[in-house]
Amino acid sequence: MKLFTKYGRINFLAILSVLFAGSVCYYYIIRYVLIHQLDETLKVEEQEILDFVHKKNQLPEPSQYRDQTVFFTRTDEPVKRRFLSVRHHGHFRQIFFPVLADKMQYMAMVSKSQEESDDLIGLIVIITLGLMGLLFLVLYLVNRLVLRKLWRPFYQTLSSIKQFHLSSQRTIPDLNTDINEFQELGIAVQEMARKVLQDYDSVKNFADNASHEMQTPLAIINSRLDLMIQDQKLDERQMKQLQGIYDATGRLTKLNQSLLLLTKIDNNQFVNVKDISLDLLIKEKIFELDELIHAKHLQLSVNASPASVQMNEYLADILINNLMSNAIRHNLENGKIDIIICPGMLKISNTSDPLGFDGAGIFDRFQKNAQSQGIGLGLAIVKQISDNYHFIIDYSYFNDLHTFTLRF
Amino acid sequence: MKILIIEDEKSLSDNIAAYLRQEDYTCDTADNYWAAMEKIECYNYECILLDIGLPGGSGLSILKELRSNHKMDGVLMISAKNSLEDKISGLKLGADDYLAKPFHLSELSARVGAIIRRKNFDGSNNISFNEIMIDTLARTVLVNNKEVELTRKEYQLLLYFAGNKGRVISRNAIAEHLWGDDMDLADNFDFIYTHIKNLRKKMTHLGCGDYIQSVYGVGYKFSER
Repeated sequence: MKLFTKYGRINFLAILSVLFAGSVCYYYIIRYVLIHQLDETLKVEEQEILDFVHKKNQLPEPSQYRDQTVFFTRTDEPVKRRFLSVRHHGHFRQIFFPVLADKMQYMAMVSKSQEESDDLIGLIVIITLGLMGLLFLVLYLVNRLVLRKLWRPFYQTLSSIKQFHLSSQRTIPDLNTDINEFQELGIAVQEMARKVLQDYDSVKNFADNASHEMQTPLAIINSRLDLMIQDQKLDERQMKQLQGIYDATGRLTKLNQSLLLLTKIDNNQFVNVKDISLDLLIKEKIFELDELIHAKHLQLSVNASPASVQMNEYLADILINNLMSNAIRHNLENGKIDIIICPGMLKISNTSDPLGFDGAGIFDRFQKNAQSQGIGLGLAIVKQISDNYHFIIDYSYFNDLHTFTLRF
Repeated sequence: MKILIIEDEKSLSDNIAAYLRQEDYTCDTADNYWAAMEKIECYNYECILLDIGLPGGSGLSILKELRSNHKMDGVLMISAKNSLEDKISGLKLGADDYLAKPFHLSELSARVGAIIRRKNFDGSNNISFNEIMIDTLARTVLVNNKEVELTRKEYQLLLYFAGNKGRVISRNAIAEHLWGDDMDLADNFDFIYTHIKNLRKKMTHLGCGDYIQSVYGVGYKFSER
């Protein structure tokens, strides 16, 4: 629920209840005042009648005007002075009081129409309702128009936050508002974004520097090993141990290079873009990887039509290389690889055992099967390259086929 | 033949020097910018191994200085930053080759050999070893004056061996040389074995001596028995 819908609703209920209670009181007070006024008029009539009787010792003539009736009844019972409202052929206010004339006791009744007062009350009610309606309309418009306008800086900040992306390196733009709260929010968000970018940069630089600094020690280890194996006094057991160090150093080197590559893609350091024919690139890769495909006796089917894409040549090579190597490496003996390439889409499927982990995480760094020989960064690099060019890369497993689909 | 190793990491430059000396190169070392500039001004080298990151200044400015003085020493750039920009700017400034750290000494040695050959310091593009003659321009191999038909990989392998005569080359170095960086498949070692077997068969078939020896499965050595 939107803030001003919620706020408007509470506001509406509060105003409604206050207005309702107020109106009820107002109605009764007005009604009381009007009846009181009517009673005063009746009292004046009463006084006139009593004065008349006192002076002339006889009853005045009963009368009936349009809105006033005077009426006398002979009675023996004691008469109590009282006011009464009657609804009978109209709405009347009546006063009953005792009159003594000619030693006779009478009950006098003066009746006045109350319709006029009712009309007045009706009018007041209509005006009050009209005012309430107007009030709600104005409140609604204020909520809709003014509040929306007042909250605009907030939505501006919100959309800046939504558009904020670490790798784009764009900070949050300045907010143009004179409302203190939103100014503060804008400044706080800007400051936060600046800090986040700074931290991100320092983490990135750290990864970059760490990888670079590792290259020289690795070079020293490698060169030392290269020299050691020249030693003819070493026996087979020692040589085998050196081979272990060689392999580990090789893995470390690959790992380091892959991390460096990821950082570089992240830093957008591959800017030169050109037209790449992915279909030709695939054919080149198949030629290069021919030995591996043959060694596993893989059955390869390629369905290629010309497909070109704008990207960096080196990254395109890595992208295709990693996808192809993946399809070969994780394949079964005598398995198969299907490649379909057409404008806008590349699909590489391979046979293999089911994954030992959730397919959704296949592009995560260091995600791999326990028996995998790789370092677990090949597909992470594929994902990073795809993201960089806003390509969509998908993985699915169906009918014993692992399929990677790249849409570009 | 004289080689200058400009590298600030002493341990690495010592290892390089030790390896290259086995090839009968004379090695000089410099571990900072000023020492390097001094040596370059005083002597001529067949090949200079130039690290880009140096205390006192960039290796690239040494290269610039060298070329502006019209010194045609071969230059092999070495960099810890495996970056295309470094590579491109280095090659533009007139470096002959580029090698990213970490590398195998056998790879370095083969590249130094190739630079020296290309610069034609010893007056020939051919490498000969007993009855074997490799013409690096025509990319042909003759054994007892008869041509051997080699595949691309077999030729690369033979050339690599010839650039590291008498030294053990590790399988890892061979795999990297033949398949490059982005092929990180462990089964490469089986292919090396196959390629070497085929190469050996083709050479001995033409009466060539068997010069390739396996060293405890760790590597191979190309030398006279």
